[in-house]
Amino acid sequence: MGYLEGFGVTFRKWGEGVTTRQYLGGRGGSSDQKAPKPERLHGRHVLNRYEDGMEKCIGCELCAGVCPARCIYVRGADNPPDEPRSPGERYGYVYEINYLRCIHCDLCVEACPTEAITETKLFEFSFTNRADAIYTKDELLVGDDGKPQQLPWEDWRSGEDEHTSAWMRATAPAGKAAYEGVVGWSGELGYGVRAPELGQTAPPDEADRESGAHDDHDDHGGHH
Amino acid sequence: MTATDNPQTTTGVPFTLNGKAVEARKDELLIDAADRHGVHIPRFCYHPRMNPVGMCRMCLVDVDMGRGPGLQPACMMPVTPDIKVDTESEATKSAQDGVLEFLLINHPLDCPVCDKGGECPLQDNTLSFGPGESRFVEEKRHYEKPIPISPLVDLDRERCILCDRCTRFAKEVAGDPLIHFIGRGAQTQVNTFPDHPFSSYFSGNTVQICPVGALLAQPYRFKARPWDLETVESTSAVDTTGARVLVQSSRNQLTRILGLDSDAVNWGWLSDKDRFAYQVTESENRVTEPMLRRGGDDLTPSRWSDATKTAARALRGDPARVAVLGGARLNIEGQYAWAKLMKGVIGTDHVDCQLSDGLPAPMALGLPRATINQVCAPGGVVVLLGPDPKEELPTLYLRLRHAIVEDGVSLIELTPRPTSLSDLAAARLHCVPGTVGQVAAALAPGVSNESADAQPADQMTAARALLDGSRPVTVVLGRANLAESARYTADAVGALQRLVPGVTFLPALRRGNVLGGLEMGLTAGFLPGGVRRAGANFPAWPFVPDFDGKDADGIMRAAANGEIDTIVLLGADPMEDYPDAALAKAALERVSTLIAVDAFVTSSAAEADVILPAALFGESDGSFLNLEGRLSPMLAKVTPPGQAKADWMVAVELATALGIDLGFVTLAELRAELSSMATTFASVDWNRLASADDGPVLPLKRQWVLEFGDAATPPAPSSYGLRLVVDHKLWDQGTMAQESPSLAGLAPPALLHLNPADVEALGLSEGTPAIIDRDGATLEAPWVADPSVVPRTARMAIRLPGFDVRSLLTVGRSVTNILIRAAGGTH
Repeated sequence: MGYLEGFGVTFRKWGEGVTTRQYLGGRGGSSDQKAPKPERLHGRHVLNRYEDGMEKCIGCELCAGVCPARCIYVRGADNPPDEPRSPGERYGYVYEINYLRCIHCDLCVEACPTEAITETKLFEFSFTNRADAIYTKDELLVGDDGKPQQLPWEDWRSGEDEHTSAWMRATAPAGKAAYEGVVGWSGELGYGVRAPELGQTAPPDEADRESGAHDDHDDHGGHH
Repeated sequence: MTATDNPQTTTGVPFTLNGKAVEARKDELLIDAADRHGVHIPRFCYHPRMNPVGMCRMCLVDVDMGRGPGLQPACMMPVTPDIKVDTESEATKSAQDGVLEFLLINHPLDCPVCDKGGECPLQDNTLSFGPGESRFVEEKRHYEKPIPISPLVDLDRERCILCDRCTRFAKEVAGDPLIHFIGRGAQTQVNTFPDHPFSSYFSGNTVQICPVGALLAQPYRFKARPWDLETVESTSAVDTTGARVLVQSSRNQLTRILGLDSDAVNWGWLSDKDRFAYQVTESENRVTEPMLRRGGDDLTPSRWSDATKTAARALRGDPARVAVLGGARLNIEGQYAWAKLMKGVIGTDHVDCQLSDGLPAPMALGLPRATINQVCAPGGVVVLLGPDPKEELPTLYLRLRHAIVEDGVSLIELTPRPTSLSDLAAARLHCVPGTVGQVAAALAPGVSNESADAQPADQMTAARALLDGSRPVTVVLGRANLAESARYTADAVGALQRLVPGVTFLPALRRGNVLGGLEMGLTAGFLPGGVRRAGANFPAWPFVPDFDGKDADGIMRAAANGEIDTIVLLGADPMEDYPDAALAKAALERVSTLIAVDAFVTSSAAEADVILPAALFGESDGSFLNLEGRLSPMLAKVTPPGQAKADWMVAVELATALGIDLGFVTLAELRAELSSMATTFASVDWNRLASADDGPVLPLKRQWVLEFGDAATPPAPSSYGLRLVVDHKLWDQGTMAQESPSLAGLAPPALLHLNPADVEALGLSEGTPAIIDRDGATLEAPWVADPSVVPRTARMAIRLPGFDVRSLLTVGRSVTNILIRAAGGTH
């Protein structure tokens, strides 16, 4: 009579109520605020532009080369001499990221020699077909105001498009604490040169929030 | 000298390398000796195939010759006994640091946009041996960003580290000293001479050996990054040299060809045609699906089954009324499959893979072969009885040039014109068309004749002395003049064989895998393995043809007379490529069914009733037989476009449509049958072919004997003035070059070359075109006075833009005499 025991589980759970809640993404009024996002959340990418509107991407394919999920496809081409897209000889002619594959590891951001690709905190997007999942260069490139472009299937709240390169700015060039507070990146369209953010030498209360901060010893190095 | 020059030297030179006792070869450079013992000394300027110069100082190492350690450039120093070398000392490290810091002072940080980035010796050495930080904060030196120094090569002078590799290559290896250092001190730059582009046939090699991104290939510019590329080792099918190459692709597109350093063949060098003709595969004009002419209409796309059914219907008729032209584009496997289909299944012997521009098949197959290394062996004598190798077999030209310049090889020219090697030749015998056989006969002691007497006495004496039997003799044999019957060349071959017993030959034919085609029986009278048709036993074939077929000339004449119903074109384009344009047109228009197996709608394929789309270089697996008889792999790197198929599969499809099982459906089955049928291939280990270093040289021994008669008397001079010499230029209007965007514009305009003395005698005046008259057929042509033209001859190249010299040629003529006069009015 084993199957009756099985039904027993079903009936017992019947009355316990539902624990799954619909994700309202902030639409549920004051009781359903979006949780504050961590400083270094990895959302979807943007391709940045310089203050003068030139694209930062030079089509070097380092991001594609380093990508562990092989989700980036880049092809470079000669800049048109009369209407250059980026400074120098080469620009990103094709730039595609397949978000069905992307694991948001940000190695592309680290590899980029021109700060062209950074990750926003936008993570709420779902598509109904594969073509939408492949973001093309037109979709990744920031608009003329320097803000990411909102695509129809992306769920945004106001202000969420401000944080397009926070992670980048929190990290000093070469990762050295001595660069704390030094601006080591170029200006961006719509923002200019952004102020440096707190980095490795942040005040203790900030650092407390980081889980590994207290056991940062050599003998525990393997856990990082 | 390279390590390979004296591989057998056993008398070692003992020395100490990083504390270990090792031995160097005699005269070996320290850098090579260290390489062989697994110690890599960083270098920029040193290249094992060129003379060392010690320009870059990157290879400085600590050497103690008994008076204490001191820094010495390892690339300039032959190992002497008992020296102590330390490549890891403090002094060495600090020298490497210093050299790299200095090199990087002016080197721009272009790495992310530089095509060399990722495979750059400067990047690699900086990472492995560099200081890591630069102390240089000043402005770097600036030049205009890449300037085109030729249609194929861009130069970015900012990136140049002045290693002298490209300039040395141009001067020493290619013999085209068109790029050079100019300026002094910090302003030194590499550049071309004003108004003289780097228009060398070998310019792409400088891109490959450049240790930085200063020289860049225009066709590869920004196409891919090194980490995108997938690579296979293959063989170039551009000419019969069969240069070994690396074929690289990215995203199923061929992106680059690099030279593979093969000791036996091309030493890593390639001609620009080898290097850049891969673009043909990407052409928009490719035929990607079968085409069929329904009724009298235009060619329309069709299905394979319909196309093969139509083709099969035409092939079912009387085998004596079916002919095949071409096949030099195919790989060995494709050639075997087609030979079996046409000869063993359909039963015709009217097959020719040459288009009347090569050598008679018995001669190309039956002469004892030399290898390139035998021809270029130090101390030998080479007879050039063929075309200008620089124009037709450019990679072979580089080997020959090196042998003459560096290894004491003596060259005797028996050519109708001075060639690119004339300045280096020990004896120059430039024979008026029709006389080469007589001149060769007179090289024997005590023989004299009128033609030989016309040659300069000192050159004849020099040539006779070189052929006195004291030095090994090899012959580079080809078709030097399309306006002259090949029988005179045959006469010369006979004379040389009688004069020098044991002389060996390198058949310097031009078309891709044509020697493979001959070996596979794609020629009248022969079956695979160089076996004569008559009396041959081929058990795996349904039967063998019961008649001896015609060669290309015979097929054309028969077709024009209505004796041939069906012609199959295996990548051949006789309308543009057969020396007698009028005959080709008449023949192709007369046949009732024309079947083209091609990748393009060429002028001939446009006349076809059926076009079957074929895979090209890099799109199908197979092998290549080069002029030495060396079998090397030709591998697929990308898939054929659309419905195009490998040539052997097309043969199988056609056989199926004919209702016959060709006996193989896989490449392995085909190869197994090939090895069992063609005795010359019996020893081939197909599985190891791709991993073999240079590929095996097949034993091309024949069961039949080739015999030559006495030299024919040259045709008497006619009332017509000059004898025509027609040959090829490397860049012409061939399909391969025309469909490769960066090669299409390189063909020079057609020009009639005349000796200045003849120009004066003919009364031509500058600016007025000449009228060429051959038996009443006239052609107006621009001309140029060229002292290198032999007096009483006129020279033109075939397939160049401007005028079509083929209108002056008629097959079957022993020589072509022309009359030239000045055009009447103004141009």
